[in-house]
Amino acid sequence: MKKKIVLFAGMMLLAMSLPAMAHFQMIYTPEAALNKGGKIPLALVFTHPFEAGHTMDMGKPEQFFVVRSRGENTPKKTDLLPTLKPVIWTSLTNSGAAWETGYTARGGDHTFCLIPDPYWEEGDGFFIKQNTKVIINVGGEPGAWMEPVGLPTEIVPLCKPYDRWTGNVFQGQVLFNGKPVPGAEIEIEYMNHKPLLDKKAFAKEAAAKAPQDSFVLQTIFADVNGVFTFGIPKQGWWGFAALDLDPDYTHKGKKCSRDAVMWIKAVDMK
Amino acid sequence: MIRFNTRFISTGLLGLSLCFSSAVYAHTPLCSCYDNGDNTITCEGGFSDGSSASGVEMRVEDKSGKQLLKGKMNEDSEFSFDKPSVPYKVIFDGGEGHAVENDGDEIVE
Repeated sequence: MKKKIVLFAGMMLLAMSLPAMAHFQMIYTPEAALNKGGKIPLALVFTHPFEAGHTMDMGKPEQFFVVRSRGENTPKKTDLLPTLKPVIWTSLTNSGAAWETGYTARGGDHTFCLIPDPYWEEGDGFFIKQNTKVIINVGGEPGAWMEPVGLPTEIVPLCKPYDRWTGNVFQGQVLFNGKPVPGAEIEIEYMNHKPLLDKKAFAKEAAAKAPQDSFVLQTIFADVNGVFTFGIPKQGWWGFAALDLDPDYTHKGKKCSRDAVMWIKAVDMK
Repeated sequence: MIRFNTRFISTGLLGLSLCFSSAVYAHTPLCSCYDNGDNTITCEGGFSDGSSASGVEMRVEDKSGKQLLKGKMNEDSEFSFDKPSVPYKVIFDGGEGHAVENDGDEIVE
């Protein structure tokens, strides 16, 4: 019994000494607000973005599609799954299986949606499945950015997600099966190392330095309506991950954390 | 009281008409054209507030301003036409202060 306690205490210490880092499914493209249409690159990487740390192997996604909406036109969905090509993405500490593709964007909103294959997290003993969304715009004509796409877990923006200046707030609503999730826990990370698409790697240089581990992974909670608010302190991409929105969800007989991730890009006022 | 009401209503009307006229300028007309790669061009129009451009007049002119063809934005706020054989420009004519010109030289796939 004593041995067990010592072992447990040791494990706790080990767990506590590990830096606070969160898994974030990325859908990366360099710009969220483009002036002109054309072909844009997309990379799907499952990583720890603040530290550009351990990058997890992604399986073949269940779904990857884009919904294009422009003005009052009916949104149109296009399947991008067949266009995905497997790549190896290099982090600062390892490399992992990722995906990339290209997409030709004309005017309006383009909402990219990814439903990944669940990832087995050995350290935690459960699967992680982060349904992820990124909204970009071409030319400034808005579409249906404020409407839910209908993902099982989803963050719906309450502010136009591609028009945020640095210092603005971002507000979103966390949904599970279309219904708000009161008090949802949301982790936030900054994309601190620029993804280099040509090298399929993160840049070594960090844009910001965390004075302490708490700042690497910020945590906030949604209110009773599932709404959260975040003041954006720095330009660049920010990821929001609402965690474990379906606590009873399992995959292959094991616990699976069903999360909703969304990325937004803020721009400096110059 | 009646006089007050009349004044109140006319002030209200003035205010409303001001609102309407300023609303017209509160959004920016937008129009982008793309070469479809099959000798046709598609222009997509709209406004920065997301409102439809359906019915907006579209003109294609040569560089001297001579009209080559004319049409209207369809219900999806799109206008497609055969690519002219001469240098051209496309004008989205949303009324005074709401025109957008696209130079054919800059229209790519």
